[in-house]
Amino acid sequence: MRTALFLLFAALLPGQALAANQVALANDVFVERVTTDATGKQRILLEEPKVVVPGDRLVFVLNYRNAGAQPADKFVITNPLPAAVSFADAGDTRPLVSINGGRGWGQLDQLTVALSDGTRRAAQPADVTHIRWAFPKPIPAGGSGKLMFRGVVK
Amino acid sequence: MMNAPVGGAKHQLLPSCSILALLAALTLPMQVQAQVATPPLTRAGTTISNTASATFDTGGGSTTINSNQVDLLVDELLDVTVDSSNPADVPTTPGATGQVLTFSVTNNGNGVENFVLSTIANAGGDNYDPVVTQIYIDNGDGVFDAGTDTLYTPGANDPELDPDESVTVFVVATTPGTVVDGYRGIVSLVAAAVTGTGSPGDSFAGQGEGGGDAVVGSTGADGTDAGAFIVSAATVTLVKSAVVTNPLGTADPIPGATITYTIVATVAGSGSVSGLAITDNIPADTSYVAGSITLGGVAQSDAVDADAGDYNGTRINVALGTVGGGQTRTVTFQTTID
Repeated sequence: MRTALFLLFAALLPGQALAANQVALANDVFVERVTTDATGKQRILLEEPKVVVPGDRLVFVLNYRNAGAQPADKFVITNPLPAAVSFADAGDTRPLVSINGGRGWGQLDQLTVALSDGTRRAAQPADVTHIRWAFPKPIPAGGSGKLMFRGVVK
Repeated sequence: MMNAPVGGAKHQLLPSCSILALLAALTLPMQVQAQVATPPLTRAGTTISNTASATFDTGGGSTTINSNQVDLLVDELLDVTVDSSNPADVPTTPGATGQVLTFSVTNNGNGVENFVLSTIANAGGDNYDPVVTQIYIDNGDGVFDAGTDTLYTPGANDPELDPDESVTVFVVATTPGTVVDGYRGIVSLVAAAVTGTGSPGDSFAGQGEGGGDAVVGSTGADGTDAGAFIVSAATVTLVKSAVVTNPLGTADPIPGATITYTIVATVAGSGSVSGLAITDNIPADTSYVAGSITLGGVAQSDAVDADAGDYNGTRINVALGTVGGGQTRTVTFQTTID
């Protein structure tokens, strides 16, 4: 558990990309490892990936910081999903998603996919190609935060 | 895009405030994942690169910055499954050679892999051990033919399979002559990744396709499935009886008396016999009564023709063809005492 906590704290700390004196965005990827201890209790550890194989569950963590002197308005973070990763969820961060390569955006539960027979089905997490967070308020000078989403290696 | 709804992404001056929120987010189950058909696995050696971007305006117009790029190498997953292709036990007979069980071997991993094949015939749970004589690799038509399929030699031609590729494998066995009807014999085919097998998560450094490691998947990098033979034998029992009648109304075998012979063929067992024929010579000092052959009470002609019976001057013959276990056939014919 100590390792997991350490990694969690590491995930929270600003990465090197935050060193710029304006707005910075740092990207870290972890693998979720589920272990079962002697009492049968499951424990989730986040590890820096050394080995990634299909089926591995990845946690993408984005740290942003406005290190400049001015508020950052119209703040939007976009993460195109790597082709080999299937979107799973974004925790409680409720991002906008695109299921068509970034041309259209919406909440996942509001999007539909056209089927060959002319009907439409509800979009599934695996349809997601891009994830986006659009902030309604400016990021104040010195403000920072964290976003996350999870995916599975296809 | 700015008028779209926005969720719980918050910003604050103290990053540590979000520890609890992140922990909670990370422990949410990913329950929706399984609803979508599984796509092909990412090929071993693929690099997964992730970069995010941020767009904002700090007063000088819209600006876009990129995050750092994170690259992950996808390693080779070693997974294989074996499935018996026989929908039911394969019938065999005592002493039969060249008895075939069919399996398919599928590479469920994400890299090209060779698989070592072996069989287990003595694991128990059955009545006898089939004697495996060869393993053949199918030529693609799914039908066993020793002339066109490839004889398998472990270590020499371990089948190489692409991800998701399957190959049909034939296990050829001999049925011991000592088995009896109803015996069942199980043969399991085992396929194991040449790179290595083990517990899920075990890895073989540097041995994966594309330069990464090879990692044992959920199957343990080996697979097995069982097929079975069922001995389906049949035995034939013939019982012959005779009844004498004479013009005096007695059963005495005097000249001129008629002898009615009855031959009952009984087939026992779960199998069947084919080409069964009943032949009986006409005894000396008797004469065949023309047109007297019956099969199941139905008169048969003496000529070799469409019906089953014939008489050639010295013997009667009734061709019964294939008779299944549990059935009987009754043949009668008559002679007179000279």
